[in-house]
Amino acid sequence: MDLWLDGNGVAGMLTEALGEDVTDTERRCPSCGDTWALGAYRAYRGAGVVLRCPGCESPGLRVVEVREGFSVAWGAGPAR
Amino acid sequence: MAGAAVLERLTVPRAPVVWRLARVREISHAATSAVTIVFDLDDWPGHRAGQHVDVRLTAEDGYQAQRSYSIASAPEDPTLAITVERIDDGEVSPYLTEVLDVGDEIELRGPIGGHFTWRVSDGGPLLLVAGGSGLVPLMSMLRHRAAQASDVDARLLLSARAVGDVFYRDELAGLDGVRVDITLTRSQPPGWGGLARRVDAEMLRELGPAPETNPRVYVCGPTSFVENAADLLVALGHEPHTIRAERFGPTGS
Repeated sequence: MDLWLDGNGVAGMLTEALGEDVTDTERRCPSCGDTWALGAYRAYRGAGVVLRCPGCESPGLRVVEVREGFSVAWGAGPAR
Repeated sequence: MAGAAVLERLTVPRAPVVWRLARVREISHAATSAVTIVFDLDDWPGHRAGQHVDVRLTAEDGYQAQRSYSIASAPEDPTLAITVERIDDGEVSPYLTEVLDVGDEIELRGPIGGHFTWRVSDGGPLLLVAGGSGLVPLMSMLRHRAAQASDVDARLLLSARAVGDVFYRDELAGLDGVRVDITLTRSQPPGWGGLARRVDAEMLRELGPAPETNPRVYVCGPTSFVENAADLLVALGHEPHTIRAERFGPTGS
């Protein structure tokens, strides 16, 4: 089984990276068109955190802690 | 852009995050292997039921470990409480459950997360489904409901391995106007008249409320527990977007 959490579970890091709480922010997935709150996204932890759309698993947001702060990348298209 | 995964990338500076020193006021048992830690905090901004805090421990050599813990207390409580279950091979929970003492200070930040929250003004019916220590944020909601003397229809299904793993057992028994169903999945005490199997569709159907009443649904527990419960709820007719879930990994570490 995959070990994933929700956007809720990594909200502390997200707040640190984005400057505000985004768990209740709704995002329309460019891949499948479904709209979910970021707190409901699936959060996979690795070198950083990847939030994937609960509907289609496309990467929606990737946050990695780097020396200067955080590298933040928003998914803007379909998953590979 | 079509057909390719395009990620807009940028690097942002670290936002100032307020770590607060919290002084331990009281420690009590919540279950066989779990304690409730009550803190005194200066300048606590208040929280909503369902939110969590991050706790950070720093070793003498500077090594830091950080974990998230759901807030157990109601927003109305003057003090902040978390409940921590001891994970035997954990890095943080053995310290919090066995070493930490009244008067000690630890660092925490929060409240965190605005999505998995409930206020009396959000209304109901309220359907809460908890696996083990997943009860903690849901208990904050029930305590909030009680503190507000709310009569919102509220129902709780709690799945625990054994009776000793049921958090806040006495308090659950005394909740006013809340239907509480407890299922013990591994062992049951003599004379146990309650449920004794893993959460299934029949259990959830029997508990209600019906999907047609548009309940607010909160599910919290280990990832596999939440997956199972959420799938069952969707199969019963609950709209997926109305189910709010909080997963805390394989064992709740």
